[in-house]
Amino acid sequence: MMIWLNQIIQGVLLGGYYALIACGLSFMFSVMRIINLAHGSLAILAAFGLFVLASRLGLSPFLGLLIVLPAMAAVGWLLQRTVLERSLRGGLLVPILSTFGLSIVIDNLLFQQFGADTRSLAPYIGDLSYSSWAITDDIDIGQLAVLTLAAAIVLLGGLQLFLTRTSLGRAIRATAEDPDTVGLIGIDARRVNATAAAIAMVTVGIAGAFLAMRATFNPYSGGQQLVFAFEAAVIGGAGSLWGTLGGGIVLGVAQSIGAQIDPQGFLITGHVVFLAVLFARLYPSRFALQLPRLRRQPA
Amino acid sequence: MGGSVLTGMLHDGLTRRRMIAGGGVAGLAMAAGGRRAFAASENVLKIGFVSPRTGALAGFGQTDGYVLELARKSLAKGLTIGGKTYEVVILDRDSQSDPSRASQLAKTLINSDQVDLMLPISAPETINPVADACEAAGVPCLSTVMPWEAWYYGRGAKPGQPSPFKWTYHFGFGVHEFLETYVSQWSLIPTNRKVGVLYPNDADGNAIRHNLAPLLAAKGFTIVDPGPYEDGTDDFSAQIAVFKRAHCEIFNSFPLPPDFAAFWRQATQQGYARHVKICQVAKTGLFPSDITSLGRLGYNIASAAYWHKAFPYTSSLTGIGGEALANGYENETGKMWTQQLGASLALLDAGVTALQTSSDPKNKAAVAHALSVLKTITIAGKVDFTDGPVPNVSPGPIIGTQWVKAPPGSRFKLAYPVTEHATDPNVPIGAKLIPYNA
Repeated sequence: MMIWLNQIIQGVLLGGYYALIACGLSFMFSVMRIINLAHGSLAILAAFGLFVLASRLGLSPFLGLLIVLPAMAAVGWLLQRTVLERSLRGGLLVPILSTFGLSIVIDNLLFQQFGADTRSLAPYIGDLSYSSWAITDDIDIGQLAVLTLAAAIVLLGGLQLFLTRTSLGRAIRATAEDPDTVGLIGIDARRVNATAAAIAMVTVGIAGAFLAMRATFNPYSGGQQLVFAFEAAVIGGAGSLWGTLGGGIVLGVAQSIGAQIDPQGFLITGHVVFLAVLFARLYPSRFALQLPRLRRQPA
Repeated sequence: MGGSVLTGMLHDGLTRRRMIAGGGVAGLAMAAGGRRAFAASENVLKIGFVSPRTGALAGFGQTDGYVLELARKSLAKGLTIGGKTYEVVILDRDSQSDPSRASQLAKTLINSDQVDLMLPISAPETINPVADACEAAGVPCLSTVMPWEAWYYGRGAKPGQPSPFKWTYHFGFGVHEFLETYVSQWSLIPTNRKVGVLYPNDADGNAIRHNLAPLLAAKGFTIVDPGPYEDGTDDFSAQIAVFKRAHCEIFNSFPLPPDFAAFWRQATQQGYARHVKICQVAKTGLFPSDITSLGRLGYNIASAAYWHKAFPYTSSLTGIGGEALANGYENETGKMWTQQLGASLALLDAGVTALQTSSDPKNKAAVAHALSVLKTITIAGKVDFTDGPVPNVSPGPIIGTQWVKAPPGSRFKLAYPVTEHATDPNVPIGAKLIPYNA
């Protein structure tokens, strides 16, 4: 019994991590209609930024965020102006291609610069990456995992509030809905979109920091992380930020319960839940239980 | 000149990662193009060297640039074989850690470049497709750095039957060497002889589960196996609970490096790692960066090496020894030496010796025959195809080692002493194995 309870707790904590890395993906899709396939590579880019600050200047990754996050915001702004805006004009599919291309460019530039070495930020945060609170003999809760879950809740909740309660948030949503019409009421759609991209990249930077503290990374690690982020975002209903938190937790719990049933069950259970939710969404009328729709809902 | 390469690239589309790497290949082809005039003549020997320089296995290829530079320097004056002097051209290619890319490169090297000898290295993803292409085309091929069972049986040979391979040869460690090394290493510290094993559901993991685990059990170790897991698993709580309950004082794994980092941090979080006396990993922990990225948790992890700078041999091609090779690399790159340095150089040593001992290095059948009777000493030790467990294979050592904190004032954070030498007693032992939690 304790073992199952432990699996569920660890699954929830894992879910917090998935939600955190999915946040930027979900935000970009919901407010900018862009499926950003460079999401994972950009997170790794931020991780390398933090790594350089930590290894060369001895700056703790948490302090490093003070430098890396503004830099990521600038990256987001530039990206919107130079790549995303232009490709979005070519239709919904073009940004998928351009961000895919971007991910190749980022991966290989990082490889050119940093080589193939495996790296991690864990050595720079003392014993945080492996210390834990022992709840019982069978249940230990990792401190970093709890911090990750808390960060996910704060980040996703904060963004949700920002989008619903602030005028800039409302402007971002309105621009996503109809960029031409917002121009009529004096909103500069380009500016608003670039701001949204900057915000999205800040969340990607935070995701990169936690990814790099929790695990190891190298220049080609971005793609692997994209899969779970994507699944968490879809399970939660792409576009709903709170849903992304729920989606991450559903995915994490499904995986760890799957792993308890059979060690090979970890990935497959996650994928099955992902597909089940996806199909349930595609045929909503057939199910008595009406899940949130795949189409974007008011954030 | 680089035209065929470019057409090839356009042919399969400019896919992921290929743009930059492809540019490099085209550049090399053009550089080599100047020598095409010689290629028509009879006195140029071409060696294809295929290794993973980028992609998931790029850690293996990281040192190849340095090793190839040494080899090219030694070959600059050409090779004199049977009174005739040949110019030697090494065509090095990047498999991008991708089997289909490796296969395609091998075909280009065979058909367009017409190599006389193929030398693929490092992990099944690169070696097996290249060896298969050579076997099909009748091009002599020598490889190293993967368990030979996965090379021999993994490519269709059957136990007890004659070898189906005429052109391809492989040297280096196998399951038997792992067994000897682990039994020797794990007897260095008193434990309860209970081994928690974390073997993934992939080619290496399953080969080890079926071939190594029963042999370890026969040697008196209790194997606790929670079952195969999928590569890319993010949470190992279920496995950790099993190891904790069984109180396994020895831990053994053949994981991908990122999976091990995730596992070992969770094992520490959840209170398993503090019971472990020997943490013996393979496949990860080969290179210093795998261990450095674990921080303090990386100290005292036991490993096994297919080459070590303490190996007492010299390279037959370049004449340099282990220490000199390691120091040269550290001075040139500022990075800590890795075991791959000696393995890559050993492959070049053995390959060039095969060309030298063949009756006619331009005759592929003669070179293949020279491989089949090759008996030589490389920087990584003995290679002897006359006396293998199966034809086409020459088993090699894998010696027990440990990653420890380097003494103060050292150039690098880690030291990597030899702790046992069951598979090659010529290698001097550098330090006593210390318990993980010491």
